[in-house]
Amino acid sequence: MNMQRPIVFIKDTGATAKRDATREIYTSLLTLLTERGLQDAIQVVRVADIGVYDKGVVAKVLPGGKLYANITPADLPELVEAVLGARDLARLQLTTDPNKQARLVLANCGTIDPDSIDDYIAAGGYEGLRKALTMSPEQVIEEMKASGLRGRGGAGFPTWLKWQLTARQQATPRYVICNGDEGDPGAYMDRSILEGDPHAVLEGMLIGGYAMGSAHGILYIRAEYPLAVTRMEKAIIQARERGFVGERILGSAFSFDFEVRLGAGAFVCGEETSLIASVEGKRGTPRPRPPFPSVKGLWGKPTTINNVETWANVPFILRRGGAAFAAVGTTQSAGTKVFAMTGMIRNSGLIEVPMGISLREIVYDIGGGVASGKPLKAVQTGGPSGGVIPARFLDSPVDYENLGKLGSIMGSGGLIVMDEDNCMVDIAKFYLQFCVDESCGKCAPCRIGTYQLLHYYTKISEGRGELADLDKIRSIGQAMQKASLCGLGQSAANPALSTLRYFEDEYKEHIVNKRCPARKCKALVTYTILPDACKRCSLCMKSCPVKAISGDRTVGYTINQELCIKCGQCYNVCKFGAVKGA
Amino acid sequence: MNAGMATVNYIKVGMSTCGLAAGAQEVFNTLTQEVARRNLNIPVLKCGCVGMCYAEPLVEVAVEGLPTVIYGKVNRDVAVKILDKHVMGKMIVQDYVYEGVPRT
Repeated sequence: MNMQRPIVFIKDTGATAKRDATREIYTSLLTLLTERGLQDAIQVVRVADIGVYDKGVVAKVLPGGKLYANITPADLPELVEAVLGARDLARLQLTTDPNKQARLVLANCGTIDPDSIDDYIAAGGYEGLRKALTMSPEQVIEEMKASGLRGRGGAGFPTWLKWQLTARQQATPRYVICNGDEGDPGAYMDRSILEGDPHAVLEGMLIGGYAMGSAHGILYIRAEYPLAVTRMEKAIIQARERGFVGERILGSAFSFDFEVRLGAGAFVCGEETSLIASVEGKRGTPRPRPPFPSVKGLWGKPTTINNVETWANVPFILRRGGAAFAAVGTTQSAGTKVFAMTGMIRNSGLIEVPMGISLREIVYDIGGGVASGKPLKAVQTGGPSGGVIPARFLDSPVDYENLGKLGSIMGSGGLIVMDEDNCMVDIAKFYLQFCVDESCGKCAPCRIGTYQLLHYYTKISEGRGELADLDKIRSIGQAMQKASLCGLGQSAANPALSTLRYFEDEYKEHIVNKRCPARKCKALVTYTILPDACKRCSLCMKSCPVKAISGDRTVGYTINQELCIKCGQCYNVCKFGAVKGA
Repeated sequence: MNAGMATVNYIKVGMSTCGLAAGAQEVFNTLTQEVARRNLNIPVLKCGCVGMCYAEPLVEVAVEGLPTVIYGKVNRDVAVKILDKHVMGKMIVQDYVYEGVPRT
């Protein structure tokens, strides 16, 4: 039947901005098919992305999904025969599965209609809650223990233990809170889950509420996520109509209801004690722990706060069992992690990978490699609380312990890919500026420490740095780690300390030679045109946004340093390396 | 992922913040209007973000007998092409298919 004819997707996966062989191969293949009278027997489609990267021209044959890589024009006759099933083309066939992702949390995101509870139920939704209600609260916590789920907000505290601590308190009422105050620059995993699968978060909290003997759930969502708030509120109404929320849920003795609270835009409110203060209507500042929220939390009562992604993992664990969850990932870090991959990466977006996957697989097999085509320099994880991981550690597995050993953290899931055009001093300075703005000011180590660190970074980036500053940065950073009141201050020095640990030479280049190798610290960069290398094409002059370049084809071109804003446009457009930036 | 052929018909538009910021609402409106105008028997649905934020707006198309595919960087013109070529002509639209996301 004509409709069932095979379809061949093709794509030059080694394509660059200058050269893309997709169209060429497409034309050759069509010509070949026409010659053989097969033009109607096989449909050939040029695709934008074939899910495999840097393997030359790749073809995917449907139905079946067989992949062939590094195809040359000479291979096309054999490919056609393979498509028609007339022969085997093992020589070019990719046998490893290119799909490195595993979707537990994001399984419904992009599949179901988030505004439809029927879609969620059809996908197995609320089965986990039904199952939980047939078990005792202790059994639910046992199931969580078997799963090995750890907090996805970043610190990785075992979720079951948090639940058990709350459940064992005598005081009532108890509260469960969903921390949706996602504030790391570049991270938006939680937003996507709240917007794409709101019922999963509700179901997770309902199960948690049952296990901990709580009847009150609070969804704390930052006000910058209006769509997430709208969808969550709609989901709560739908769930109440169906009897999943409210009094005597599904005919059991368990009652539970939700309240949505909006965050007012302070990064520190993602820290649990600040978040509780904010919900209570107080200024969002942290308080010392212990007592932990499990003992004395909201309104002084036992409270469990979990992150959005943590809650969204819970329905799967109840529905499929803790063992099924523990089977994914590593022994110490079970399950998957969602990352928001941004920066110099070809495919920026949300990915979900099993714990223990290597950074190399994330960057190259899923992300498609560095967008600029330049060498990878480092990967930053954990946002302002994390650190950078240099390219030489690309093969280390991604789990809580390993990232910690490397001086970074898992964090909530921001992952920023950096190439050699990223300056490590500049990166650390950016995060410190963020922490200076967001420090609540309650404790001195954070309030003064971030400010002092930023002072040293400004000095270094402006060419006034001294070698002694590096030791100052280290000692201030360590003092902040030890003495700050909350996680914000304890981790605010991480970007500084980890860049200094791995890229001390780059710091010294700034301090001793007053040079910024990545040309990011503007005070240390001067662009000049080398007359001998210049071919007088005038491209630099045309691309200069501030008209700082003057001259003509006979006398050559010069840059007026007074006008130059050091944007690097001339450097980037010059095809002859005639613009020097140093 | 995507190895078999679709057995039902639908069009899904990714309509989370990333999609909407890239123009998903316009694509959704175009698809709904054009499907009605052409009297096509295919539902236009919405869904959350599938993860390929760099290629938004994303449109997933399932038409019986063809593999289910995700089109990326869809605008009004591509949306119309999807209806003319893919839904009505049973031919996958060139240059806009993104195969990078695992389908569960």
